Amino acid sequence: MYELVIIGGGPAGAAAGVYAARKRVKSLLITEGWGGQSEVSPDVQNWIGIKSISGIDLAQKIEEHVKAYAGDVLEFDEGSRVVEVKELVLASGSGGPKFTLVTNKGKKYETRSILVASGGRRRKLSVPGAETYDGKGIVYCATCDAPLFQGKEVVVIGGGNAGFESAQQLISYATKITLLEYAEEFRGDSVTREAVLKSKKVTPITNAESVEVKGEKFVTALVWKDRKTGETHELPVQGVFVEIGSIPNTEFLKGLVELNKYGEIILDHKTARTSREGIWAAGDATDQPYKQNNISMGDAVKALEDIYLWLQKKKSTT
Amino acid sequence: MRPSCSSRTIRANIEAMAVTIYTTATCVYCRAAKKLFSEHNIAYTEKDVAQDAAARSEMIERSGQLGVPVIDVNGTVVVGFNEPKLRELLDIRG
Repeated sequence: MYELVIIGGGPAGAAAGVYAARKRVKSLLITEGWGGQSEVSPDVQNWIGIKSISGIDLAQKIEEHVKAYAGDVLEFDEGSRVVEVKELVLASGSGGPKFTLVTNKGKKYETRSILVASGGRRRKLSVPGAETYDGKGIVYCATCDAPLFQGKEVVVIGGGNAGFESAQQLISYATKITLLEYAEEFRGDSVTREAVLKSKKVTPITNAESVEVKGEKFVTALVWKDRKTGETHELPVQGVFVEIGSIPNTEFLKGLVELNKYGEIILDHKTARTSREGIWAAGDATDQPYKQNNISMGDAVKALEDIYLWLQKKKSTT
Repeated sequence: MRPSCSSRTIRANIEAMAVTIYTTATCVYCRAAKKLFSEHNIAYTEKDVAQDAAARSEMIERSGQLGVPVIDVNGTVVVGFNEPKLRELLDIRG
């Protein structure tokens, strides 16, 4: 029986792991991998204390830091994903809730409390042709695959930070980059946005809805609709880079804690408690509106402080 | 416990495997795959498709993919860092 199970090894989960170990809360951290979604970022420039670091190096630093506390107080189950959480039905006066967790590898754990830091995953394009051409011109990791589009024409779907970062990487390789944004205006940090938009290779278009990916063996065109005029256009491209946000990893919590319409966990933001006693959450899996590494870490620490007090109180009353 | 001669046979089989990984320098999943190989003492040939146009064409033709990593284990092509599949092909346990 653990006092705490932390689900996730991104910035939130790792921060919680460090704090849990330092407070000597008997914990288990279950994660598929380390570093969270920034792992694929070419250059993180807003991690406070480090001016510039690649996502993969940041992930490694996070892993090293939390693993420095590995031992009898903090254990790890790596390469696993939690697929089910259940609350055990207990007799009253038995010291508060207890939960069981099951991983995709069939391992079962019992715990008094849970911190959900399961983050989010990339939203995939869902227009006709999107599945057919996944990996055949449609790209979800610009950092990985931009060099394959040397001398080609490409489109980036999504005008937020990630979209601009993808476009920025493509400037070194592609001959023409069209950047499509669904909304009226582009989003993203001004620094990156300005750097990208001053390139002559980049054509920015707003109010653009992607309609279809066309191709033969590989992608040959993207069809998009102008949301103001209703006209459709066919853009000849060999690459479609998709950066249309993320989806929270909360499916395994349905029916157990309250989720909003986006699937995000609804929190009491003062304590990071969910709607169910004994379960806390932090980071991109929650309804906290700003999905940022620094925020996820801080929010996880806040949750851990509250978890610690809660566990102390439970101990003193049983 | 498995007799030691049998363990040696398995290791010898793995050493005889031809593993080629097509990568780009910035690809995080490529690094993850290489880490798995190194941890299990599996020799591999790396081809950087960002630098080597011939390797790029070879990868695209063999896999039908425009994305890294592509990993060839004794002629079986694995697309992406499909860890369970790689573990099976390379006989990695635990």
